[in-house]
Amino acid sequence: MINEQLAEFSNLALVVAIVLFVLALIGFGADLAGTSQRRSDERLAAKDRAEKGRADARELQAASVGADGAGAVGSDVSGADVPETDVTEISASDAAAVDVVAADAIPGDGTGSASGGMSAQRFAYLLAGAATALLTLGVVCRALATQRVPWANMYEFATTSAAVVMIAFLAFSLQRRELRGLGTFVVGPVLILLLLAQTVWIVPAAALTPSLQNSHWLYIHISVAIMATALSILGAVVASLQLLQAKHESGLAQKIAAGEEHPEHWGRFGHVMDRLPSSSVLESLSFRIHSIAFVTWTFTLIFGAIWARDAWGRFWGWDPKEVWTFIIWIIYAAYLHARATGGFRGSRAAGLALAGFVAVVFNYTIVNTVINGLHSYSGL
Amino acid sequence: MDEKSTSTDTAPGAEKNPSAGERASRTEGAAGSWSSKPEVDGRGPTKAPSLGLRGTLLFLWRQLTSMQTALILLMLLAIAAVPGSLYPQRSVNPGLTDTFLEENGRWGEILDALGFFEVFSSPWFSAIYLLLFVSLIGCIVPRVGVHLRQLRARPPRTPSRLTRFTGHTRVELPGAERDELIESARRILHRSRYRTEVREERGGAVSVSAERGLLRETGNLLFHIALVAVLICIAGGNLTNYRGQITVIEGDGFSNSLTQYDSFSSGAWFDETDMPDFRFTLADFRATYVQPGESGKVGEPRSFEADIQVTTPGEEQESRTLQVNKPLHVKGASMFLLGNGYAPEITVRDSEGTVVAEGPLITVPMGDTGYTSQVVLKAPDARPEQLAVVGFFMPTGTIDDQGPRSLYPDALDPQLALTVYQGDLGLDSGIPSNAYEVDVSTLTQVGGEDGSPVLIRLYPGQEYTLADGTTVSFDGLRRYAAFDIAHNPFEIWTLISALTAVAGLVLSLFIPRRRVWVRVRPGADGAVLEVAGLARSDDPALEGDVRSLATTLSQAQDGGRAGTAAIPEDWPSRATDDSPEGSAL
Repeated sequence: MINEQLAEFSNLALVVAIVLFVLALIGFGADLAGTSQRRSDERLAAKDRAEKGRADARELQAASVGADGAGAVGSDVSGADVPETDVTEISASDAAAVDVVAADAIPGDGTGSASGGMSAQRFAYLLAGAATALLTLGVVCRALATQRVPWANMYEFATTSAAVVMIAFLAFSLQRRELRGLGTFVVGPVLILLLLAQTVWIVPAAALTPSLQNSHWLYIHISVAIMATALSILGAVVASLQLLQAKHESGLAQKIAAGEEHPEHWGRFGHVMDRLPSSSVLESLSFRIHSIAFVTWTFTLIFGAIWARDAWGRFWGWDPKEVWTFIIWIIYAAYLHARATGGFRGSRAAGLALAGFVAVVFNYTIVNTVINGLHSYSGL
Repeated sequence: MDEKSTSTDTAPGAEKNPSAGERASRTEGAAGSWSSKPEVDGRGPTKAPSLGLRGTLLFLWRQLTSMQTALILLMLLAIAAVPGSLYPQRSVNPGLTDTFLEENGRWGEILDALGFFEVFSSPWFSAIYLLLFVSLIGCIVPRVGVHLRQLRARPPRTPSRLTRFTGHTRVELPGAERDELIESARRILHRSRYRTEVREERGGAVSVSAERGLLRETGNLLFHIALVAVLICIAGGNLTNYRGQITVIEGDGFSNSLTQYDSFSSGAWFDETDMPDFRFTLADFRATYVQPGESGKVGEPRSFEADIQVTTPGEEQESRTLQVNKPLHVKGASMFLLGNGYAPEITVRDSEGTVVAEGPLITVPMGDTGYTSQVVLKAPDARPEQLAVVGFFMPTGTIDDQGPRSLYPDALDPQLALTVYQGDLGLDSGIPSNAYEVDVSTLTQVGGEDGSPVLIRLYPGQEYTLADGTTVSFDGLRRYAAFDIAHNPFEIWTLISALTAVAGLVLSLFIPRRRVWVRVRPGADGAVLEVAGLARSDDPALEGDVRSLATTLSQAQDGGRAGTAAIPEDWPSRATDDSPEGSAL
C-alpha cells in the first residue's frame, strides 16, 4: 500500500532541494565570476611581478615547488596556465609567476577569506551538500512510501540519477578541492534534470506493474543503469569543459606565439577557464570517468539481457531500448579506441564521448516517450 | 584493438618530457602495426607502384585491420543500428511493420527493399559487423603472439639517461653500499609484484629494471577474444534455438509437440526430436488490477498468476505458479507467461437446430485498459449457409455513443456484443486464413427477430434467437493465458563469454602498465641513487610511487638520516594530481 503522506513529504523535500540547488548554482556562479575578477586584478599585479622576477625566474620556480607542498592545487593551476604545446621561455617564467599568485589565491576558499566570512564557493558547496541530502531524503521517502526501489518510472529514475550524480561529485571534490570549481557545470545539468522530472515526468507514487515485479533484476539492472547514466552525465560535463579548455589554451598559445606577453583570451570567461584544470588534466579525468561508465554500461547490457531472458524469453530482441543501449555502448567503445589511436586523442575523442552522451539522452527521453517498445511501461 | 604493445623497446631518448615520449612511442606503435595511411598517398597516381595481387591483398588486409578502420566500422555500426529503432522491425512486431507499409505506400516499399524493416539481419548491417569482427581478429591474432613473447621476456634494459622519465629522483647517499641498495630495491619492487632484472652496467653502476601490468594487455586480448566468442554463441543460438507461442484456456492442457503451437520458429539446425517431452494443464489464471480508490491508474494491472500442473517424464506431477518474470524451466525448454485474455463460452445453433459451435472461444484484447476484446467465431458447418459471429467481449461492458467497450479489465459485468453473418467463409479455397480474422464484406448480416440488422447484447446465461432461427448463447466465461516456450542451447555460453569479456575489460582499463628503474652509481663517498618510471598507460599514481620508492630506499640506507633529494628538472612544468606521500607501490 502507498503511504500518501510520506509520498507528499518526498515531493516537498524534492521541491525544497531544487530551490537549494538554484541557490548553490548562484553561489558557484558568483564564485567563478568573483574569481575571474580577482584573477584579472592579480594578473595585472603578476605582470609587474613577472617583469621584475624575469631575471631570477629560477628562484620563483623553486618557490612554486615549495608552495606545491601546501597543496596540489598550485601545480594544477600552473598546468592550466601553460598550454602543453608551448614551452617557450616567456610562458615558463610567466607560469612560474602566476603559480605564486595562484598559491596565494586558491587557499582563499578556506584561510584567505577568513576575514570576509564564508567564500562564495564554500557557501555553494555547503548548499549543494544540503540540497543533495534533501534530494536523497526525498528519494528515500519515495521508496518508503511505495515500499519498493525508487526507480520504476522516468520521474523516479531521473531523481535517483540526479542524487547519484551529486553524491559522486561531492565525494570526488571532498578531497580534491580544485574540482569544486566545476560545481556550476555539475549543478546546472542536475538542476535541469530535476526541473524536467518535477514538471514533465512527475507521476503519483504507485505500486509496481507486473512486469517489474518478482525480479531481483529490477534492483540490479536499473541501479546499474542509474549509475551508468550518472557517470555519463559527469563524463559529458568534464569532456565539454575539456573541449572548451583546449580551445582556450590554443587561443592563448596563438597569442603567445604572436608575441603577446600576457595574453587574454575570451575575456572574463577566459579567466574562468584559467581557473579550471588544464585540458590534459580534464582529459585524463574524463577518460577515467568514461572507462568506469563503459564498464557500467556493459553491466547494464548484460544484466538487462539476463532480465529480458526471464521476462520475455529471449536475452536480446532488438527492442528500441536495447538498440539504443547497444548504440551507447558502441559509441563509448569507439571513444576508448579513439583515445588510444594517434590522431584521434584529445578533442576528437572527446567529441565521441559527447556523442555517447547524446545517445544516452536520446535513449532516456525519445525512446521512452515516443518510440513504442517493450520498455515503454517505464515511461511517464 | 587497444594501443599496440610495442615490443621490448627501450625508452625513447630525445623527447622533451616523458609524457611526450610516451605519446610518441604509442603513435609509432600504432603506425607500425596498423599502418594508417599508405605511403603512396598524395604523390599522384602516376607514381603509385604496382603492388601485384599479393601486395594488393596485403595492403587491403593492413587497411582492414588498422585502428582507423576499426573506429570507422564501430561508428558505422552505431549509425546503422539507429533505423532499427526508428522503423518498426518485422522481427519485433510484424503487425506494426505491415501497418507502416500500408500507410506509406511507395516510400514504404523502397525502405522495405533496402532492408529497413529487418535492419539487424540486413546485408549492410551484417557486412559492417562481420568486417568489424574480421578486423578485430586480424588485429588480435598477431598481438597474442607478441604478448606471449613478452610474457616470457625479461624486463628491458634500463635506459642510460633516466632524467627524462616520470618522477625522476636523484639522491646522493654518502657511505651507502651499492649492492645492498640495489638488492633492497629489487626486493621492494618484487614484493610489489614487479618482474625485476638486475644488470651490471658500465662504470661500476648497477640497475634494477622492473615491469608491472602485463595483465593489462592480457585483459585487453581476453576482452576481444570473448567478444568473438559472444558473436559465435549468438550465431550458434540462432541456428539451434526454437521459440513458439501457445494459448491455453483454463482447464485445458498442452503437450510439447510442434502441432500444438499457434506459431513456431526455429533455427536451421534445430532438430524436432530435441524438444523435451513435457505436458501441463492450466488450472487457474488470476489477475488483479488497480481498483477505484487505490493509488495508481484505475485498471492498471497489478499481478498476473497462472497455476499449472506440470508433468515431465519420470517425475511426479507438480503444481507451479507462473508469473511475469518467473518462468518455468524444464530440461531443454523454458516457458514464459506473456499474455492473457478472456475465453467466453459461446454456443451457436444454426436455423436447423444443429450445434455448429460450442465451448470457450479465445478473444483478442484490443489493447485498451478495459480489455475490450475482439470476437471472431467461424461456423463452417452451419446450414443452409456458413455462419460467422463477430463482435466484442467486454469484461465490464457498456455500450454508448462510442460503441461497445469495456470500462475495467476485471470480469465485473461481462457482456458480449455480437453480429451474425452468413455466406461463404472462403475456408475451402485452400488459402490459409487467420483464425482471429474474417472478411465480412462478402457476407450478409442475419437480421434480428423482426428481420432488421441487430447488435446482439448478451449477458452470461442468455440466449438470442435470430429471424431465421439461428441462436447464439453466452454460457459462461473462462480466462486463457498465452505462453512462449523457448530454448537456446547457447544461452549459457553467451552469458559466460559476456562475463569473461567484462573481466577482461576491467583488467585492461584499470591495471596500470608501467616500468620502474633504479640505478646506483658509485659516488664521491658512497653511492648515487636514481629512480624513475615510465607509464605505459594512464597512470597518475606512478609519479608518487616512484618518489616514495626513492624516499624509502634512501631512508632505509642511512637509517633515518634524510638524503638530499635533488629537485627534478621537469618538476614545475608538470602537473600531478597525486601527492607523493602515502601512495604505495
